[in-house]
Amino acid sequence: MTGKQPINVEEESMAFRAWLDAHYRERGLFMWLAFSLELVAVITLFLLMLLTCADVTGRYLFNNSIDGAIELTRIGLAIMVFAELPVISWRGGHVVVDLLDSIVSHRLIRVFSMLAALLIATSLYFVAWRIWELAERSLRRGEVTEYLKFPEGYLIYYIALMSWVTAATMITYGIYHLWVTPSDNQLVSD
Amino acid sequence: TTLRAATWLPPSNPQNTTVWPTWAKWVEEATEGRVKVVVEDYTGHPKTLFSAVEDGILDVASTVNTYLPGRFKLPSVAEIPGEISSAEGGSVALWKTYQEYFVEADEYDGLKVLSMFVHGPGQMHTKFPVNTLADMKGKKMRIGGGLVNELAARLEVTPVNAPATKSYEMLQQGVVDGTFLPAQEQKALRLTEVTTDLTLFPKGLYTTAFTIFMNPDFFEGLSPEDQEAIMSVSGEKLARLAGSAWGAADAEGIATAKEAGIHVVELSPDDPRVVEMHKLAEGIDQQWIKDVADRKVDAAAALAAFRKYVAEEEEKAAKP
Amino acid sequence: MTVVLIGFAILLLLIIGLRLPIAIAMGLVGFFGFAVLQGLTLDTLFTFNWKAALTLASNRITETVQDYGLSVIPLFILMGNLITRAGLSQKLYDASYAFLGHRKGGLAMSTVLACGGFSAICGSSLATAATMSKVAMPPMRRFGYDDSLAAASIAAGGTLGILIPPSVILVIYGLLTETSIRELFAAGFLPGLLGVLLYLLAVRYVVWRHPERGPAGKAFSWPERLRALSGVWGVLALFALVMGGIYLGVFTPTEAAGVGAGGAFLIALFRKTLSLGVVFEVFSDTARTSAMLFAVVIGALIFSDFINRAGFTDLLVSYVASLQVAPIVVILVILGIYILLGMVFESLSMLLLTVPVFYPLVAELGFNLVWFGIVVVVVTEISLITPPVGMNVFVLSAVLKDIRTGTIFRGVTPFWVADIVRLLLIVFIAQIALFLPDLLYR
Ligand code: NA
Ligand code: NA
Repeated sequence: MTGKQPINVEEESMAFRAWLDAHYRERGLFMWLAFSLELVAVITLFLLMLLTCADVTGRYLFNNSIDGAIELTRIGLAIMVFAELPVISWRGGHVVVDLLDSIVSHRLIRVFSMLAALLIATSLYFVAWRIWELAERSLRRGEVTEYLKFPEGYLIYYIALMSWVTAATMITYGIYHLWVTPSDNQLVSD
Repeated sequence: TTLRAATWLPPSNPQNTTVWPTWAKWVEEATEGRVKVVVEDYTGHPKTLFSAVEDGILDVASTVNTYLPGRFKLPSVAEIPGEISSAEGGSVALWKTYQEYFVEADEYDGLKVLSMFVHGPGQMHTKFPVNTLADMKGKKMRIGGGLVNELAARLEVTPVNAPATKSYEMLQQGVVDGTFLPAQEQKALRLTEVTTDLTLFPKGLYTTAFTIFMNPDFFEGLSPEDQEAIMSVSGEKLARLAGSAWGAADAEGIATAKEAGIHVVELSPDDPRVVEMHKLAEGIDQQWIKDVADRKVDAAAALAAFRKYVAEEEEKAAKP
Repeated sequence: MTVVLIGFAILLLLIIGLRLPIAIAMGLVGFFGFAVLQGLTLDTLFTFNWKAALTLASNRITETVQDYGLSVIPLFILMGNLITRAGLSQKLYDASYAFLGHRKGGLAMSTVLACGGFSAICGSSLATAATMSKVAMPPMRRFGYDDSLAAASIAAGGTLGILIPPSVILVIYGLLTETSIRELFAAGFLPGLLGVLLYLLAVRYVVWRHPERGPAGKAFSWPERLRALSGVWGVLALFALVMGGIYLGVFTPTEAAGVGAGGAFLIALFRKTLSLGVVFEVFSDTARTSAMLFAVVIGALIFSDFINRAGFTDLLVSYVASLQVAPIVVILVILGIYILLGMVFESLSMLLLTVPVFYPLVAELGFNLVWFGIVVVVVTEISLITPPVGMNVFVLSAVLKDIRTGTIFRGVTPFWVADIVRLLLIVFIAQIALFLPDLLYR
C-alpha cells in the first residue's frame, strides 16, 4: 500500500506534464508562467460563477443576498482580465482588423505584429507608472470598498504590476515567439 | 480662461437645468467675463471624477462622496436618516458644518472644495401600499448604499444593491418591489410607469451628500481677483442654489406622480409609521460618530452644529 | 474639428493599414489626441505635463475591468463554451437541421432567430454574439455552411435584441431625453420584428445568389425529427431558465449570465463531459476571450474621451442646426452622421455622447422623440456591424481565432443593407414605431 502510492503520484505528474505540453505552445519558464496565470484566471472565473448563483439563490429562496456580491464580482473581473493579459499579449492574440491581409505579404504582417508588440509594451510600461501612483494615492487616502472594506489600492497595484508583467514578457518572449511562430491572429493566413 | 465643468447626470437633472447654468452665469458676471464656464459630459464612472479633477482632466465637477467609501466619511452627517427635511436647508447646514468642523480633517486633500449639497429626502417608491412598516418586511428593495443600508436592515427588507438608474429596469422586470430615492425620480427616472405607491416621510429616510470641487492648480492659476470672485459665488450661495434646485425637482416629481395616478401618501409627523421609523433609526447617528472616530474632528459637536443649522434653516423657511 | 478628422484618419491607417490591434490603436489615438487638445505640440513633447492624459487612460483601464455590468461578457461566454463542450450545441443544431436543413440557408435562419430571441431577453448584443459564436458556429460549419454566412448571421442576429424590449439602450435613451420608457418599449417591438424578418430575407438573398454558402440537406421524416429533438432538452431547459428567470424577475440580466454559466456547468457535469483538464481548458479559454474584449472596450472608451473633449458632437449639432433645408432632410443628415460615427464608435459611448446634443434639435423640428429613440437604436445596432470598428464582429473574431474579421464583414454586408432598408422604412413610415404606443398609451 505504502509502496504503491508514490508511483501513482509519479504517473499523475507525468500525465500532468503531458497535458501541459499538449495544452501550451510555450515551453519552459513561459509555459509555467502561462499555466500559473491561467490557473488564477480559471479559479477566479469559477468563483465568479458560484458567487452569482449563490447570491441569486439566497435572495430568491432565503430573502438574504450576499453582502458585497457586486464588489466581489468587480474585484474578480479585474483579477481575471489582468491575469490573462500577459498571455494573450505575448501570443499576439489581440483583436485586429485584417481587411487587407489578402494583399499584404506574410513578412510584412510579421513586421506589423512586431510593431504592435513594441507599442503595447511601451504604452503599458508608461501607463502602469501612473496606475501605480494612483494606487499609492488611493491607499494613502484610505479608499475602501463599501461592504468588505477592502482597500481598492491593492487591486490597482495588481493592475499596474500585471501591466508591467505584460510589457516585460512581450518584449522578451513575445518578440521571440512572433519571430518563430505566427501570432494567434494570423494563424489563418499561414 | 475657460473653466471645464463635468456633468454625469442626465440633461433633465436639476444639476444640468439649473445649477450649472446659473453658476456659470454667476462666475462670468463676477469675473467680468474673464472666466467662461463650459459644461462637458463625463461618461466614465462618477467616482473617478475626484481623480479626474485632481489631475487636471477637468477643472470642476460635482459627485457623490460615498462613491469613495473610506476617504469621505464626514459629509455623511447629512445622510443620517431623519436629519434633514429639505434639500436646501440640508445643503446649507452641511456646508456650514463642513467649514466649521470638517475642513481641518483634510478629506479633500488634492482638491479645492467649492461647495456641498444634498438631494431632497429619500423616500419609498413601491409597487405595494405601505400601510404599516411591517409591510416592508421581506420586500426586495433597491438601495444605493451609505447609511440607508443600516435602516434597510432594520426594516428587514431584502436589499438589492444597484445604481439609481437601474431602478426602472429592475422594477419593470420585478427583480425588486421598490426603491429608495428622492421624490424627483418619479419624474426623472419615470418611476410613475413602474410603481404604484409613493410614501413620503416628512424627513425622508436618508439623503446623499454631493461635493462640488475644483482643481487646485486651476484655482492657483487665476488672478487673486478672479479667485475671490469665484469663491463669492460658491460656498453657501452655491449650496443654497443646488439645494433649492434639487428640492424644486422633488415638488415636480410629486406633482408628476399625482398626475399619473400614483398613490401618493404624505405622512404627517405624528403618523404611526413616522413614529416607528423614528424609533428604528435611533442610534444610527451614534454609528456615524463611531465611523468617523479616526478623523480628528469633534464628531458629536459637529452633529449638534449640523442639527442647529438645519433647525435655523427650517425656521427661516417657515417665515413668510 | 481638424484634430478629430486627423484622429479618425490616423486611426483608420493604424487599424487597417498597419494592422495594429484595435485596442492599442484606439487607445493611442485617444491618448495622444487628448494630449494634443491639452496643448501638446512637437515643441513641447519633452516639457509637456502628461499627468492628465495618463490619469485619463489609467482611470479608463481600472474602472472598465471593474465594471459590474461587463461581467456578463465572461459569464455568458462561459455558458456558451460549456454548452458546446457538453456536445449540446451540436445536438441543438442536429435538431434544427432535422427540421430546417432541407431548406437552403435553413440553419442560418434559425441562428438569426435564436440570436434575436436570446439577445432580446438578455439585452446585450455583445453577450449574445459571445454566447452564440461557440454554440452556433461549429455545427453550421459541419453542415457545410460558408464561414461568412454563418458568422454574419451570428454577428448580425446578436444586434436584434437591443431594440426588442426589454432594452437597456432604450432605458438609457428614455432617461437622457425624459421620454416614456414604456412607450419606447412598445415602439421598439414592431421595428424589432421587422429587423428579424429582413434578416431572414437577407439570408434568403445570400443563398439565392450563392446556394453553396448554405447548402440544403435531405429532408427528414417526422419520426426522425422527433428523435433529434430528444437530444436538446438540456440546452432548451437552460435557455428557458436564463430567459424565464429574467422575464419573471428572479434575477437581473447581469445575474442571468452567472446563473446560466452555473446551469451549463451542472449539465456538462451531469453528462460526464468534464474532466479537470477540460474544465481548465474551457474556463481559461473563456478568460482569454474576455480579456481581449475588455481590451477593445478600454481602447474604444479612451478614444471616445478624445472625441468628447474635442467638442465634436457639439460641432456636428451646430452644423446640422445651421442647415436651411426641410426637417426630414435634417433627419437624414443626422442619420448619415450616425452611420459614419458608427464606423469608429463603440455603441454605448456613441449614444451617450450624441443623444443629449441631438434630441433638443429633433424635438424643435417637431419630430416625435419616441420615434427618434427607435431610429437612434437602429443606427446603434447598425454600428455594431459596421467596419472597421464593429464590436459584434470583434467578439466573433476573439472567440473564433480562425475566422478573419474580413470574412465576417464581407458576410455581414447583406444584413447591413437589410438594416438600412429597415431604417428608411421606419424614418418614412413612422407608424411602424408609433402604432403600438399610440394604441396602448394614448
Ligand atoms: Na432586449
Ligand atoms: Na462600428
